[in-house]
Amino acid sequence: MQGIDKNTKRRLTLVLTLVCAVLQLAIAPNLPFFSGRANFMLILSALMAQLFGGRYGTVAGFLSGLFFDFCSTSPLGLMALLLTISSYVLGYEVRNKLNDGTKVSITQFSIASFAVSGAYALALVMVERAGFLEAIFMRALPTAVITIICYLPFLMILSRNRGGFTLSSSRGPGRSSRLH
Amino acid sequence: MAVSREYGSGLSGATPPTGGRALIILVVLSLSLFTMSVRSGDTGVLGAVRSGFSFVTTPFRIVGSAVTAPIYGLGNIFANLTADQATLSELREENDALRQRNVELEEQALLADRLTELMEIQSTYNLQSVSARVISGSTDSWTSTITIDKGSAAGLAVGMPVMDGSGVIGQISSVSPNSAVVRLIFDEGSSVPVMIQSNRAQGMLNGSAGGGLSLDLVRSDLTVEIDDIVVTSGLGGVYPKGLPVGRVSVVGRNPGALYLDISVEAYSHVQSLEEVLVITSLTDEQRASAEDIEEADAQEMSAINDVADVQVREDEAADDDGESR
Repeated sequence: MQGIDKNTKRRLTLVLTLVCAVLQLAIAPNLPFFSGRANFMLILSALMAQLFGGRYGTVAGFLSGLFFDFCSTSPLGLMALLLTISSYVLGYEVRNKLNDGTKVSITQFSIASFAVSGAYALALVMVERAGFLEAIFMRALPTAVITIICYLPFLMILSRNRGGFTLSSSRGPGRSSRLH
Repeated sequence: MAVSREYGSGLSGATPPTGGRALIILVVLSLSLFTMSVRSGDTGVLGAVRSGFSFVTTPFRIVGSAVTAPIYGLGNIFANLTADQATLSELREENDALRQRNVELEEQALLADRLTELMEIQSTYNLQSVSARVISGSTDSWTSTITIDKGSAAGLAVGMPVMDGSGVIGQISSVSPNSAVVRLIFDEGSSVPVMIQSNRAQGMLNGSAGGGLSLDLVRSDLTVEIDDIVVTSGLGGVYPKGLPVGRVSVVGRNPGALYLDISVEAYSHVQSLEEVLVITSLTDEQRASAEDIEEADAQEMSAINDVADVQVREDEAADDDGESR
């Protein structure tokens, strides 16, 4: 496992943020999956956490959640809280988990997706007095599933292109010049 | 090696920050925002920021709506793949042009129909209204909302009722200068005062996560039939009186229950919403009259008295049991 240089990190952050923000605003509302809609901000925060981890990933999670909160009509700060915590957990210690294998990444993301969607539904049950079973089975589960499905293309692209993420412009020797 | 010291991980040997301090700060910040948002709702600073955000992002929603529209027509494209290629090559251009023209004309005809329908409703019910186009569905999984392309600049405000050619669909829950979010009647948090047209039985129409509508608080001694028409009652002063909402699809009676279990099938379908009318003001005739309010109160009082009677009977029965022992 190796780090990513600052330029690559900025570029990746910018591209992923733009893509996920546009998808969240333009595509997610118009393509429902049962009663659920993909949460591209969860995907963004998870990718940031899995790629960079640490403080960077945690802050990215908070900002992604805040963006989601502003897009929705639910109380502000709820998704920000959940994505902050999930990003911290996903990015804890290990950096660039995408290189640890796609199965690990998918498993971790799936757990995060179900946990975040479930917790969000439970919070809304308490705040807005929605029905518990309906919130879990008709909202949270479809949301978690469609979010996992939408995460896979991102993971595939990032995993395939990881050889292109050069560590620095100075071309350091040996394996340190590339992710893998 | 030019690897960032901060993010160099194992190669640089530096201990990377785990983000623990950031986590604590951001969790506190999130909880503060959440508390403020729950307390103040969509008013105040947070409401203004959300409105500004909605203003900035509306163009993306409009583009997204346009981009995703053709996806619904993918079935036709797959069907065409099985046709004879030689024939298609000769006729492709002509077919494409004709198909495009046909689609345009059909779209225009449908649009004209929908607008005519809206105009008729506007005229029939004498509504002071503004027409708007639906540009987006709900951005999250937990609410049933739509976004329309008119906002406060067009005179829209929070609370205004919205309808399509079939009937009532919801009311505006937040507004920005160029767009507004409409909370649909199917949303779990939505309640609309309605009545059954045939017997004037008043009740409250509530949404659910499954997209169904339940009509609550209709007393069990009233007669309600399947296919009875449900209209707005005008109580509360939000929705004009007498607008169609849907029809009764299921009526359930539980022995001993004070209220009926009624399911309502809405006339409007969320999937087909494209143009809507926002009712900007109500006339005096559209508000619930004093008689309507008295009637609703009488129904409520009658239900309360029934509850009291049941309790008295239960108490008496308990006393009798005690004495007999």
